[in-house]
Formats: sequence, structure tokens, C-alpha cells
Amino acid sequence: MPNFQPYLQSPLVNFNLPAQTVPAEASQKVRANELPLMGYIVLRGELADTAVAQAITKATGLAVPTACRFSSGDAGVLIWQSPDECLLVTARNYVPALLAACTEAFAGLFAQAVDNSGGLTTVYLSGVEHVTLLRHLGVYDFESVTPGDVASTVLGKAGALVCRVDGDGVFLVIRRSFADYLWLLITKAATPYRFAVAKLPAAGKSPFLRLVDAGSPAKRPVAA
Amino acid sequence: MSGYRVHRNSQRINAQAPCQFRFDGKQLKGFAGDTLASALIANGTRLIGRSFKYGRPRGIVGHGSEEPNALIQLETGGYTVPDLKATQVELYDGLNATTTTGFPSLHFDLKGLAGTFSRFMPPGFYYKTFMGPIKAWPLYEKIIRKAAGYGRAPVDPDPEFYDHLHHHVDVLVVGGGACGLWAATLAGRAGLKTLLVDEQNEAGGWMLSDTSAQIDGKPALKWVSERLAELNSLSNVTVLTRTTAFAHHEQNLVQALELVQDHLPLAARDSHTPRERLHKIRAHHVVLASGSIERPLVYGNNDRPGVMTAAAAQTYLNRYGVAVGRKVLLMTHNDAAYDAARDLAQAGSRVTLIDTRLRGAADWRQHEAKSAGVALMLGYGIAEVHGKTSVSGARLVQLDPFTNTVRARGPRLSADSVLSSGGLTSTVHLFCHNNGRPYWNENSQSFVVPDEGRQGISCAGSITGRWELSAALAQTHAAVSAMLLGFGRSTNGECPVSDERELAPTRRLFRVPDGLPEGHGAKAFVDYQNDVAAADIHLAVRENYRSIEHVKRYTALGFGTDQGKLSNVNGFAIAAEALGKPIAEVGTTTYRPAYTPVTFGALAGSHVGDTFDPRRYTAMQSAHVKRGALFETVGQWMRPWYFPKGKETMHQAVDRECLATRNSVGVMDASTLGKIDVKGPDAREFLNRIYSNAWSKLDPGKCRYGLMLDENGMVMDDGVTACLADDHFHMTTTTGGAARVLNWLERWHQTEWPELKVRFTSTTDHWSTTAVVGPKSRAVLQKLCSDIDLSADAFKFMDWREGTVAGVPAKVFRISFSGELAYEINVDACYGHYIWEQVMQAGEEFGITPYGTETMHVLRAEKGFIIVGQDTDGSMTPIDLAMGWAVGMKKPFSFLGKRSLSRSDTVRKDRKQLVGLYTEDPKVVLAEGAQILSTSDDAPPANMQGHVTSSYHSAFLGRSIAMAVLKGGSQREGDTVYVWAHGKKYPAKVVSSVFVDQEGVRQHA
Amino acid sequence: MFQIHCPHCGATREEEEFSYAGEAYIARPANPEEASDAEWGDYLFMRKNTRGWFWEQWQHTAGCRKVIAVKRHTGSYEIAGSWTLAEGKEHYLKESEA
Repeated sequence: MPNFQPYLQSPLVNFNLPAQTVPAEASQKVRANELPLMGYIVLRGELADTAVAQAITKATGLAVPTACRFSSGDAGVLIWQSPDECLLVTARNYVPALLAACTEAFAGLFAQAVDNSGGLTTVYLSGVEHVTLLRHLGVYDFESVTPGDVASTVLGKAGALVCRVDGDGVFLVIRRSFADYLWLLITKAATPYRFAVAKLPAAGKSPFLRLVDAGSPAKRPVAA
Repeated sequence: MSGYRVHRNSQRINAQAPCQFRFDGKQLKGFAGDTLASALIANGTRLIGRSFKYGRPRGIVGHGSEEPNALIQLETGGYTVPDLKATQVELYDGLNATTTTGFPSLHFDLKGLAGTFSRFMPPGFYYKTFMGPIKAWPLYEKIIRKAAGYGRAPVDPDPEFYDHLHHHVDVLVVGGGACGLWAATLAGRAGLKTLLVDEQNEAGGWMLSDTSAQIDGKPALKWVSERLAELNSLSNVTVLTRTTAFAHHEQNLVQALELVQDHLPLAARDSHTPRERLHKIRAHHVVLASGSIERPLVYGNNDRPGVMTAAAAQTYLNRYGVAVGRKVLLMTHNDAAYDAARDLAQAGSRVTLIDTRLRGAADWRQHEAKSAGVALMLGYGIAEVHGKTSVSGARLVQLDPFTNTVRARGPRLSADSVLSSGGLTSTVHLFCHNNGRPYWNENSQSFVVPDEGRQGISCAGSITGRWELSAALAQTHAAVSAMLLGFGRSTNGECPVSDERELAPTRRLFRVPDGLPEGHGAKAFVDYQNDVAAADIHLAVRENYRSIEHVKRYTALGFGTDQGKLSNVNGFAIAAEALGKPIAEVGTTTYRPAYTPVTFGALAGSHVGDTFDPRRYTAMQSAHVKRGALFETVGQWMRPWYFPKGKETMHQAVDRECLATRNSVGVMDASTLGKIDVKGPDAREFLNRIYSNAWSKLDPGKCRYGLMLDENGMVMDDGVTACLADDHFHMTTTTGGAARVLNWLERWHQTEWPELKVRFTSTTDHWSTTAVVGPKSRAVLQKLCSDIDLSADAFKFMDWREGTVAGVPAKVFRISFSGELAYEINVDACYGHYIWEQVMQAGEEFGITPYGTETMHVLRAEKGFIIVGQDTDGSMTPIDLAMGWAVGMKKPFSFLGKRSLSRSDTVRKDRKQLVGLYTEDPKVVLAEGAQILSTSDDAPPANMQGHVTSSYHSAFLGRSIAMAVLKGGSQREGDTVYVWAHGKKYPAKVVSSVFVDQEGVRQHA
Repeated sequence: MFQIHCPHCGATREEEEFSYAGEAYIARPANPEEASDAEWGDYLFMRKNTRGWFWEQWQHTAGCRKVIAVKRHTGSYEIAGSWTLAEGKEHYLKESEA
């Protein structure tokens, strides 16, 4: 076998966002950028069942969130999606270990973990008008999304999870195949707001931003 | 010359900011703050259009959205907008407008000749006249269409953009007049999230026209600016001007259109700001303070340029500093219009006020008018206006004080303008869009809405029929206080006070009599835009149209861009009179959105061009672009269609791609197939119920083709499902069916079989699928994969294996949609592009050829594989498709659709069934959709036997092939049928629908 | 466009997030093979098509993907309530008896 050099491409690769990225400034009333190549695991199981909830916590170290909320910790962000579904957003290189931990913790339970890392990506949307931008895109009452909330709703004609960590911005978890459309729609709707593809803020304690560094492909060995 | 500029202290134009503009090529001057209408009047322009049916000369009648005549074409090229009302177009420097009517020219209109013969053009004229011969209908249509309509639709792309904005508020106030402002103030003070929208460029409503109004002891406009200052200071209140609420839907969803940049010169418009913005407002509570509009009286030749409503003349004077004429006749049946007469006289016009009431207005008003120099004539009416393209005077009649008849002839007066006031009509549209009905209030002579509003809606001000400011404010205060109580908030503020003034009763009058039977005198128009005269309504009633909805449709009353804002109540009243019924009983027509016209651009918002609909891409998109793929949309996916090389036609490219695949190796992006992870102890049982075939014995490591039926027994989707573990399956669906199938599984699971322990998780986007297809596919894969034994015995057709491809974890399925040896490599989509390129590189020595959906279609048709939605249409059972092998009739559970397969209709012998067709001439590729006949001499009405569903040229076979559905087709192999297409009948032989490799040797290689 | 309360998400959301899923509580015959053509046809094709209060299913497709029961007035579009399928069924049965 030749010496393969696999490379990963994020769903928004064709926009070449790294080349467009500029420093964040206050004059940019709407800013966005991608948190590329993270890990996404769908956890299925009756969340109201304590055994399932405990198994999830055991495998991920995260508390099971209540409806329309998310919890966070070292493993990443655990987003409530339905009474029997959570989405774990994590670092890409945490995925194999987390999947294994879930398989072990879920033994004997009607629960499962499904890797969806190729199917999703996250966009950070910020700037003073970022809520206005969301109001351009969707019918949800985005002004009511407070830190810790997640809205699973429609932006334009595509689904999205809108998660708020703090007042500065929201994280949009979107599907790979709709990412192109949503990015175009965001940039169009942001026309009045000095839109910029801005450098992501320093990770600090942000449960999402921390995952980018933790899972950066540059920092992980290429499997050959 | 008629209209001219005057200076008024109240005027809202900026005399320091002149604007040059063009109208029908003529250079004219106005001021910032003007509307196009006020500027035109100030320039003495009278003739604005020709009427719809008779080509009669028309001028400006109103001052806002009620204007029926002054429809203009604004700007040119991509910026052009047809049929704007000049009364609503804000003037800007460099504005360019043209008239929309008049053929060949506005001043000489051929249709005007028709007007001369107008007695021959009653309602229903076109229906009655152009009846036969039927053959001539297309010709009639051509001529009539040319004569009809206003304006020209833009043909160039729109250089501006539009967007949408959603709101969720506690209170939406519609209307920024005194009452709306007070409602917003109280809601804002109570801390409620409040939005106020007003259609004008500034709030104030009628206060902008009525200079004498006072609120709380100060000039009304001062009070207005105080309110606005307060509202602007409240962070929970938003005020949007130039924003028209045009539709009210269920649960208080209101749509409003904001004209963001329309008032700016084209060059001054910001390319980063939308031209218009559509607001979608969800409000807990709506306060309708949409006010009222003055309607004219109906009298002879009341459509001559220079005829106007009194309110319009008052507005032009006080708000825009424009006097409509030097010698003005004003006819009224109420007190309020005395204000217009007084103001015009003060500004220097010679005004004769013709009051239809013998006693006239309250004393103080008569006194006020006389002191201003107004000549009063009491107990008179205007029978007929004189002048053709401009008013020259009028003939009066003396009215009987008690009945609506003429008592005696009156004088002829010369004048350059004729105004009338027929009272106010409440703007009840939004109240009625969603099932609300107005009621007739005899006291206010208007259809009004109830004081108490209705669920979720409060009504405030003159919409309730309170014409006096003091009463309107008091009613507003009470209604809003009640609303606040509902929110659990208190009212913070005293009701604003305005003087209560003595009023004389209004005369109940709509059509001013001229002493002649209806239809014998001068035409008296009710609806200007649709040329509906009082006589037409009488005629409609005589022809037995009884319901006002029918009268409307027969005469066209209230259609058009003004939606009958001036004409409806007059029309209803005249119909009531003709029917001999009270107006209340006649009622109104149905109010429907939109209140005022809305551009398509605004409705579309950002859902245009490349974001009209989601365009979904696979991870290999850039690889396909690099190789010159052309794309087609499948569902929302952009899929490579074919990959032309050099100057290849589609045909040539597809032939090359097909042959390369059958003879060596091809590669296709199959990532768009829907993929669903199905897991749980009952997964197998669930599959047994949802698929027509059996799943009990499928071992891990194996795949099976599955057919999904709906409960009617019809094929709704298909795909290959792999057994990952005893309780775990990887299901694939058609590209377009992915979401539908997932919802289908969820619905059956949740509604019928919640006891089954199984879950479905979409993994469509996670997996990137590269299909390597053809005799050399194994050789290609062998170069990339060392940990899967690819030998024919170890990895059989319909097996799947897990391993590593080009260093990436992969699931490889040995399945085939082409009948060739083929492998589908599934990897995490982030590696999709990488894997595709690796396969291309590894296949280079075999001439690996990427192919798209067109070649895929040919390859599968050669094998007789169906495409759900192309070869099926929701009326095909598996039996019809000769796929009985995929139906497990012995399965214990009655799977979805099973019972329907034995219904009398589904077991009919003459059902359409799938067959193959070979045309007699192998070069003929039949048209898909072409009908099939049994005989060559079948004449219409033909006995249609079925139709062609798939048809291609097969390069591999060197001839055309087709799939078709044919009545009783399963028993007709060998028959000759005739396929009708483009006027020709092509003989074809019915054959098996498997054209290539009937034994399936190739895919098992 | 109306708003629907999703009992699973515990939130009132806009109609855009939901898809219509037909009349609620149409029971699939337990033994389809034993149903006559007429009975089966009734199950397949006959719907109440009420003008007035109507029990129907909506799926929260953009949210939790759960199918819920909604009692809606087909004339005024007023919504009396929405429930999980199991909870709704109790109300529905109680009403059917009354």
C-alpha cells in the first residue's frame, strides 16, 4: 500500500474561510466563522429513564440537559434534541474514545451512540446585530434564546440548532449538505451589517470554542 | 394651470430643498417632503391617466393609498415599478415617472372613442359581445389584452435587494395617527414590547392635514411630536414609518411592508440596505388604529381631472403647501369638510361650499367658513361637472330636503376644481382579513368595527366610527386600558383631551340625484379604477345579481390596486338602494390581503437566486467542478449530470461514460442517497413491517434490496439496507425520499407501534459514498484497501465489509445499480473529497471515468432497475413492476400495503405494468411520457394503453431502449404497440425490461 | 400561519417548524387480512374532513421530530390544545364518548 496522506475537509471548505478571515472589530455588526472539523455524536435513549441518563453522564461526564437546553463540560456540549435524543458536540479526536465509552455504558440498555461527525458543522455568529440577523433568517423568537438555551428550528429553508453560551453570539449547528446554502443566506442577510468573516475569539472557557483547539487536525497524527 | 404653490405654516415640505423630477419626459420642480402627486398638482399637471374601460381622462382624486387614478410607472430599466400611486410616491431629486395609460398617447386616446359609445359597454360587455365564433377567441383575447391593464412589468433584473424580518412583540399598533400614538404610548409606558407601524413617511395621520386640531390644549402636531419623542425614548418601543401593515393572519400574525429606500434618489441608495423589507410580526395583541378615509359623493362626470375629495385638497394645502385650484366648488353632506373650505379660502382660493343639507353645518362652522370668505349654498348638490380634460364648472340642482330627489334646477357655476365629501369610511381591512366582519353603523354612515375588538385585537379611534378627535381619543384610552388589564398592567396616563365641538347631523346621501332616471344622465362614477358607474350597479341588480359578492364580480367594483377604498361603501349603498334593502343587510364584500400592493421582490426577500431553495452539495463538489461536470438538481441536491470532455454533446459524453463503465471502470458520487441508522432489539421486526420483503434472515455482513409500500400497496421508496449487527441496520433511501422516509418511519413507529424498541437516526450527511463501478472496480479497490479480502468468494455480491480504504476507516458495500461488479465506499464525509481523489488516482491506469446521473440512468435502465418517481407514479404496486419477488406474502405481520395488494382494484388484470420496449427503428429514442396505442390507426379519442417512463440510447447495445407501463403488460411480451410522440406513431415491440445481462453474470463477477 | 405548542419541547413554535400528518387516531385494523375490501377501503380512504373542531397530527419536523396530537378548529384555525399522542388519546376518547 502506498503511504496515504488522508486530509479532512469541512463542509464550508469551498468558501475558503481561513483566507477571508479578518480580525474581529466592533464595526462589524455581524460576524461569522466556522468551527471546522469537530466531532458530533448522536445519543439515543429515553432521557427520562434514569439508567439511560446515568449511562450518558458516565460515558461523557456531562449532565443530561432538560428540554431545549444544553450542558457542557470537558467532553464538549450536550444538546437536548428530543425526549430520546441528544447531540454531543465534541472535539474530533475525542470521538473514538467517546463512542467506545458510550458502547460500554449503554450495554444492556435500549440506547445507542451514532457518529455523525461528517454530517454536521458549527458556525459561530456574533456581533451586535447577530440576533437581528437571526430574525431575518427564521421565525423563531430568537430574542428569547438565553445562555444555555438551544433552539432547534428553521433558518431560511434549512434546519439548524441555535445555541447561546453568552450574550456575544450564538453557535449554529448545521448539516453538512445545507451548510453552503446557510452560509450564503447568512452573508446575504448580513449585507446591511458590515458583515465580516472574523477570527474566532480566544477559546477561554467557551465550551464550543475550546473544542476547535482540542481537535485541530494539525495537532493530531494522520492515521495511515 | 390649476394647482399652485402657496405657503402654509403647517406645511411639511422643505422649501429649502428643491427637487427636479421628470413626468412623461417633462422637467418639473418640487420639494423634499412632497409626494409625486402634490408636486404634480403644484405644477398644474391635471391629466394623469386614461380610464380602464372608456379611456376617459382622469386626474388625482385622493392623497394616499385610496388613490384610484394616478397610477404611474416609476423609473426605468431594472429600477422600474409599475402602477405605483403618485399619492404614495415620495418625491426625490431626479425622480422619473411616466403615465401608465393612454394609447397611442395620453392626450389622444383611442379608447376614449369607446367612451363616446359607452352606453354600448355595460357590465359583462366582453362576455356578451365576444361570444362567437369560438375560433376567434384567441384573436379577441389579443385585442382585449392590449387594450386592458396599466403599466409595464419590469423585464430587467432588479438591481436592488429585499429582506424579511420577524418580530415577536406584546403589542403591535397599526397606525400612527393620534389614536395609534396614544395606544403605543400607554403600551410602552406599561413596559410591554411594543411595535408601531405607520404607512406614511412620518407619524401623525390626519393631524398632518388638520391644522386646527388641538390635543391637551396644544396644537395636535406638537402633541404628536411629544408622543414620538417619548416613544423613541422607550427601549421597549419601536416605531416604523413608511411601513404598511397589509395582512392579518391567524393568531395575530401581521405582515407589513417597509419602504426602506424608495424615497431616496437612485444614486443615493445604499447598496447595503434593502429597497423594501417585509416584516412578519407575531403579536400577542394587535391594536388597530388604522383610521378612516374620506369617500367622495357620486355625481355626474365626477371623474373629470380636477375633481377630488375634500380631504385630499385639505391635505395638499396644509401638508404640502399646494392649493388645488383658484376657484373651488366643495360639496358636502357633513360638517367636517367645512375645514377644507375654510383653509382653502384662507389660502386665497375662491371657495363655494355646496352643502346638501338645507340647514348646513353647526353655526360656529358656518360662521368660521364665512369669515374666511367661503360662499355657502345650502340645500344644493352638484348634478354634473363640466369640462373634458379639466374641470370648467358644474351644474347644480336644488335638493329635496327629505328625500333623495331633485326639487328644482340650480345654477351653473364656473370653477377649476370640484371637491366633495361623502363622509368617512373606516379602514377595517385588517380586522376582516381573518374572519372578522364589520357592521354598518347608521350613525356614522360607515361599516365600522366593534369598540371591544375581538380576540387578540383592540380597535382604537376612527376605525370604530368615531370621527371626532375627542371621542376617538376617549375610545382609544378605554380600549387600550382594557387591553392592559388583560396583560395585568395598569394604565399610566390621563386620557388626552380635545375640544368637544357641536356638530350638525350628516345627511344620508351617496348618489347625488340629477333629476334623471339612473343611466340617463352623465356618468356618475363609483369606482374610478374599474370604470364602474352608479348605473352599472343598477344594471347588475336588474340582471338579477343579488349578492353583493356577485355584483362586485359582475361590475368589477372594488377590484384593482385601490381595493375599493373610495368606492366600496358608495357601491354597497347604491346596490342596497337598487335592491331595496338596508345597507346592513347587503353587507360588504370580503376583505382579503393585501391592503395595498406588495412587490414580488419583498415577498421573496432573500429567497432568490442562489438562495431561492437550498442547494445541497456533497463533499466531492469541488472535485466534480474541477472535472467539468454539469449539474442537475435532484430533490435539493446538486448532482453531477454528466462530465463532457472538450466539445462533447451530452449524448457523446453519456455514451463514453456508459461504455467506460461497462468495459472498464466508472465512478459515481452516490453520497446523496438517504441513509438512516436503524437500531434496537425490534429493528428487524420493524423492517419486516415497513418493507414489503422479509428481513428475518438477513445476517450481519449482508445487504438486501428493500421495497417500501404505502398503505395503498403502492411503491413509495426503495433502497439497499445492510445488516450491521443483529439489532442494527444501515438503511438507504432514494435521494429525494430521504426526509420523507425518515418521517414515515417515525410516524408509524410513534403512532402505531410505539411498543417496538427501535430508533432511527439520519446519517445521510455523515457518509460520503463513492461508487466504483465496472469490471475493473475490484482492481481499483485492491490498490487502496489491504484489510478487506476483495476476492469474489470472500466478498460476494450484496455483502458489506468494514475496513480501511486509502488509510481511512470505511464501510464498503458490494452492491450495484448498474448490473456491473461494483463497490460503494462509505467514509466520514470530511474524507469524502480525499477518497474520491484517491479512487481517481488509483483508477487512472484503467481509464477510470467519472459519471453523473444521466449515465446512471442509462446503466440502470439497461438492467431494468426502476427509479421510484420516474417509472412509478404512486399508482404502481410491486406486482405491476414485476417485482413480486420483493413481496414477502408469508411474513407473519401484515406489512404496510399488504392488504391493499388483494383489493379488487390492485388485482385487476388490465393494470398498467412495467415492460421493456424496443422500437422497430433502433435509432428512435422515444419521448418519455409518450402515450402508447395498440393499433397504428387509432384515431382520437385514442384508446391509451400506457406511457413511456424511461427512454435512452444505449451505447452498450447500440440501440435505443425504453421502459414503459402498459395495460396488462405482463402478458403482452412480443406484441407490437405504437408510441405516439410529436405527431408520429412509432412501432415498438414489447420485451423484457431487462435489456443487459439477464442472468446477472456481470454483477456477480 | 399559526403557532403550535409542542408538548415534548415544552414550547410554542411557529407552524414552519411542523409538518402536517393527517387526521389523528385512525386505528389500523388489527388484522388487515380479515378486513373486507369495504372495511379496508374505509380505513384507507375515508376521513372525517370536519368543519369545526378536528383532531389531527402534526410532526415537529424541525424540532424533536415527535408526532403530536392537536385539536384545531378547521374554520377559525383556533387551536384548543396539543398533547403527546398518548395524552391526547385520552382526551380524544373522552370526547368521542360524549
